[in-house]
Amino acid sequence: MIVAGLHDDPPGPGTVLWADIDHEHDMMSTRMLGFWLYMLSDSLIFAALFAAYAVLSYPTSFMGGPTPRDVASPLYGYAETVVLFTSVFAYGMVMVKLRHDLPRAAIGWLLVSFLIGAFFIGMETHELRDVALAGGPPQRSGFLSIFWCVVVAHGVHLLFGLLWMLVMVAQIARDGFTQLVTYRLANLKVYWLYQGLIWTFVYTFVYLRGSI
Amino acid sequence: MRRALRLAAPALPLLCGGCAPAGFWLLHPRGPVAEASLQSWIVDTASTLLVIGPATLLVMWAIWRYRRAGGKGSYTPGWSHSLPLEITFWGAPLAVVIGLGFYSVKGAFDTDPAGPGVMSRTASADGQKPPVNIDVITTDWQWLFIYPDRHIAVANELVLPVHTPVRFRLTSSTVATDFFIPQLAGQIDVMPGMRTWQGLIANQVGTYDGFASDYNGPGFSWMRFQTRIVSPAEFQAWEASVGKAGRHLDYAEFDRFATPTINKYDTTVEFSAVQDNLFDHVMQDVMMGKTYVTPADMTEKKSHKLNNGQQPTGRPLDTVKDERQ
Amino acid sequence: MTEVQQHWDPIFGRLTLSQVPYDNLIVCFAFFFAATLGLVILGALTYYRKWGYFWREWLTTIDHKRIGIMYAVVGTVMLFRGFVDAIMMRTQQVMAAGPASPGYLGAEHGYLPPYHYDQIYGSHGTIMLIFAATPLLAGFMNFLVPLQIGARDMAFPYINALAFWLTAVGAALTMLSLFVGDFSHAGWVGLAPLTELPYSPDVGVDYWSWAIQIGSVGTTLGAVNIITTIIKMRAPGMTWMRLPLFTWTSLTTNVIGLTAFPVLGVAIGLLSLDRYFDTHFYTTGMGGNFMLYTDLFWIWGHPEVYFIILPSWGIMSEIIPTFSQKKLFGYPVMVAATLSIGCISWTVWLHHFFTMGAGPIVNGFYSVATMLVAIPTGVKVFDWALTMVRGRVTFPTPMLWAVSAIFMQIIGGWTGMMLAIPAINYMTHNGVFVIAHFHCVVMVTVFAVIGGTTFWFPKVFGFTLHETSGKWVFWLLVGGTFIVFTAMFILGLTGMPRRLAYVPYASWWPILAIEELGVFVDIAALGAFIYQMWVSIRDRELNKAGRDPWGTSRSLEWMTHSPVPAYNFAVIPHVNARDEWAWRRDYRLHHVMPNEFKDIELPVNTPVPMFIGICSAAFGFAMIWRIWWLAIVSLVAMIAIVCLRSFGGSTGTTIPADEVRRLERLAARPSMRSRPETAIPEGVVVLGGGDAR
Ligand code: HEA
Ligand code: HEA
Ligand code: CUA
Ligand SMILES: [Cu+2]
Repeated sequence: MIVAGLHDDPPGPGTVLWADIDHEHDMMSTRMLGFWLYMLSDSLIFAALFAAYAVLSYPTSFMGGPTPRDVASPLYGYAETVVLFTSVFAYGMVMVKLRHDLPRAAIGWLLVSFLIGAFFIGMETHELRDVALAGGPPQRSGFLSIFWCVVVAHGVHLLFGLLWMLVMVAQIARDGFTQLVTYRLANLKVYWLYQGLIWTFVYTFVYLRGSI
Repeated sequence: MRRALRLAAPALPLLCGGCAPAGFWLLHPRGPVAEASLQSWIVDTASTLLVIGPATLLVMWAIWRYRRAGGKGSYTPGWSHSLPLEITFWGAPLAVVIGLGFYSVKGAFDTDPAGPGVMSRTASADGQKPPVNIDVITTDWQWLFIYPDRHIAVANELVLPVHTPVRFRLTSSTVATDFFIPQLAGQIDVMPGMRTWQGLIANQVGTYDGFASDYNGPGFSWMRFQTRIVSPAEFQAWEASVGKAGRHLDYAEFDRFATPTINKYDTTVEFSAVQDNLFDHVMQDVMMGKTYVTPADMTEKKSHKLNNGQQPTGRPLDTVKDERQ
Repeated sequence: MTEVQQHWDPIFGRLTLSQVPYDNLIVCFAFFFAATLGLVILGALTYYRKWGYFWREWLTTIDHKRIGIMYAVVGTVMLFRGFVDAIMMRTQQVMAAGPASPGYLGAEHGYLPPYHYDQIYGSHGTIMLIFAATPLLAGFMNFLVPLQIGARDMAFPYINALAFWLTAVGAALTMLSLFVGDFSHAGWVGLAPLTELPYSPDVGVDYWSWAIQIGSVGTTLGAVNIITTIIKMRAPGMTWMRLPLFTWTSLTTNVIGLTAFPVLGVAIGLLSLDRYFDTHFYTTGMGGNFMLYTDLFWIWGHPEVYFIILPSWGIMSEIIPTFSQKKLFGYPVMVAATLSIGCISWTVWLHHFFTMGAGPIVNGFYSVATMLVAIPTGVKVFDWALTMVRGRVTFPTPMLWAVSAIFMQIIGGWTGMMLAIPAINYMTHNGVFVIAHFHCVVMVTVFAVIGGTTFWFPKVFGFTLHETSGKWVFWLLVGGTFIVFTAMFILGLTGMPRRLAYVPYASWWPILAIEELGVFVDIAALGAFIYQMWVSIRDRELNKAGRDPWGTSRSLEWMTHSPVPAYNFAVIPHVNARDEWAWRRDYRLHHVMPNEFKDIELPVNTPVPMFIGICSAAFGFAMIWRIWWLAIVSLVAMIAIVCLRSFGGSTGTTIPADEVRRLERLAARPSMRSRPETAIPEGVVVLGGGDAR
């Protein structure tokens, strides 16, 4: 009845009972995996928000107030996209400098990435202020609620990324490229790239789709 | 499938001869929609039992036969796989689920609240009669039934002719709840700013209990109504008498009616001269943001002192009447 | 910020003295009970000078075993609280049946006005599912998963501690709502739009939402941790097809947790935006759409119920082979069934609102999807049965619990299959039939948890639980459960809706009275349980457990000492078989102990997770009461702590090899030492040792 492959062999030559080393687990890859898993759960937050956006962007949710076309300008959004991806690119340079073991240059690029990211936040704030002043605060309608929510949720993620960059600047300056710093930089890369990716979704769903 | 019900029918009175008065409503449907549900239930119970039964027996048999103290089974510690058995155990439930799947979709059409299939297919000519239309509005925590064709309305009581299709449109002026008359029709959500439908035919004259079945605030337990199924002649007489009711129902009156009220004493109110399209008006207003705010002392409260040790119930219905005079 | 109906001031927010329901007899009683218990514990800690120990070994610990125990303690406390809620609900309904039923304590009928009753089922459901079942199972997973895969610790011990503290804060906020303010009246599901500010102007909904939000951040972090641990930390030789089934179910359940809880976060987060910022996500008008909430909630809510059932099945799948003295039948099939249930659980959420009028095609689709779950679940039932077939089955308490859980699963699943048919669901939705259905299945979790507790208790604490009184607990709780829920199924045939503070029909009273009787039996079970604990702890010296007190256990955790030393395994085992421990026993290798030890690195304790927990408690409290300054301060503090800690770098301590050897000698029971030498079969390489003791 026992099927081959499901059966465990009896002990014999070559059977080992105890691991010879204390099984060093690769700290880098473990932490990276953990962070990817976190990113997965973060994606589900955005997935749920986009689903909510889809539900709340029908005319019944406009309540006679601004529509997607009124609040999202594809051109301005395009400019924002370019800015954000410049920041992502600058962060890419940080990783290059990391590979070449140039801490000072890495700090420099980190600051560049930070400043461009901060500029993006500035652009977004400016845009949202205009929307609010033009009669589109989040309290105006169901559609505006979700519009603000999606944009601000992304913005808050960016803010945390910026804070993280500052922390990394300090840590590189203090410790150089230690293992801890390296894996954090790598995770921050994933995070920052991912925020860029989310932005492309925002841009497609909110800015482009809204303008047609 | 109706045959299955016929076969089961003689068994039911035996099982629960006296249980209709005891309130076992789901076993005593009085209309084709509720009947279809009960029939589904019987079929589902029987066909799932085809697998569930043997499974239960298998567990019991294993326990009994292979218990260490006194069991007769032999011990074969290596036995942990058997292809034929695995195929059976995936296959048999799959077969039942496929069968039930088709049956379930059919039942979903039969009892679809937006237009119960069984209503148009009833054996008698009942299904072909012109339907009675009723607009249902729920408030915190009362029922308003409007008979738009007659411009009459009644709160917390429903009167319907027997053997006649009835079509409901439902909406809520506050939060969501469910409309349920266990012996006549299943539940359908009643939702603010939205419209749902339900339909039923009553087969037997009598009084049936209906109530809100989805929690919607502290008045929930008291949010009930009696459904009086009467003969067509009686129904006409009733309509005429309500048509003479002293209280009229326009939007302003509805506004007053809809303030949060716990219907503690099963008060019913009759209205005549009901404003045209009141239903749409209410729905539209809710969509535009109208809310009937629940006062803070009428929600979650553990403290007794706040209301002089009294359970706050909102305005009793009688005061509404007083204001009108 | 939204205006609130009652008092608000900038310093205390909505908090006023009148928010403390000191005039409510029941609350006062609960308060004195809690206060006395608290004082006794604090007093004992002080008297026995255990504060230092408590701080060093528990509050600041990041050892997965201690964290597991703390999870279980929180879960058990909350299970008691949930049980008290259950008693109160049942008692209210039996007292409030019929228009003639008298009222006490300011209630119209019974002793609870609807304003109070409605909070009780809300807190009962929330507590039982999220703050009792989930932490209890998290406790099992924390304790067992690293042991079962042969690891020294979790992948992220620090995050593990943080996850625990956040869960504990969620539970604490729920408890606090008893004494300060009120809890939500809108059920554990947070019925929208009832939860919107105009209809729930009090702080109840905020308590509910922040307790869940904070707790579920903890659950998500825990999920990241356990998944990573299972993927990355397995001992050499522990291939996927050798993972113990409990570990498989933990993996599946945490994948569900990782992906489902963020959706809950969004569902409740948007609700909070409505309540705090006047937005219109779920409002009845102004373009809001509360059906969006219902969807988002159940997209989480349904996977959540499988989140609590899967590890319970895992526990059963460990207990049943052990006491059948036989391999688990159809292991690969069990794994496949587990994974497929995990997947299908994502596709069925609409069966919780068939009555929303989605139309027969949509309803039919979700009906079929729902019923598909019956197939892999059925396979599990059959495979458990076949595990016993051709086995040698004994029935100590853990096995009794596991087997009766199978029956509960069958009844609960069978009635679930009825609810899954829209035509039937239209009649039974929102009725006590549903309540009876899901209590059968959640009691599978309770049974599995109690069974698992008796099973692994010796592993955790080093002594077995008292068997006779354990059987008393079993028969009483099974009896009580049977009485309550059989009666409730019968009552379900009436069409009685759930959540009734007042039962308008006196004709239902006899059945309600039977349910009450069952609850009394449940209370007796609880008494027996307390007695069992007391006797067991009193006689702990007599019931010392060796490595494997059952003698027939199968997985790795039974290879190490009881209680498990801080380093889990003196030398990490090399895995050769699916049930490694049983395999070694079968081939007489189980007395072979390593005798060559190396230094062991362990992470060092830190109070930081607890500090973050405290900040999150302050944040939750501040948000509930709308004390904005405190919310900002605690949020900033939290972020600052996280940032600052990242500058610390990770530190660890080393247990030198000599110390490991000393501890191992100490831990080996005399009985084990005096075993006759067992010859090691020819050719077996025993690296780093080979000393048969
Ligand atoms: C641990 C928790 C748990 C589990 C495991 C389940 C399992 C199932 N549940 Fe349950 N359910 C809940 C917890 C759970 N449920 C809760 C908490 C609610 C209410 C929430 C609320 O509103 O507050 C609920 C509500 C609920 C509803 C909505 C009711 C309503 O509100 O109207 C439905 C409807 O389809 C349903 C169906 C099912 C089905 C089909 C299964 C299946 O997975 C069962 C499968 C198992 C079997 C069928 C038995 C074993 C199989 C065999 C022996 C062989 C094969 C058998 C056949 C082919 C028939 N459940
Ligand atoms: C895990 C989940 C869980 C569990 C275990 C229970 C257990 C019980 N529940 Fe629960 N209940 C829910 C989840 C649960 N419930 C949910 C989700 C709702 C819906 C809420 C809503 O409407 O929103 C609900 C609603 C609900 C209602 C409906 C209220 C209403 O609609 O009006 C009722 C009424 O009787 C009830 C009663 C009971 C009873 C009598 C038990 C008994 O089975 C309790 C038995 C006793 C124990 C389980 C404790 C015994 C403990 C020990 C012996 C210690 C052992 C401990 C260790 C070894 C660690 N519950
Ligand atoms: Cu559900 Cu409208
Ligand atoms: Cu479900």
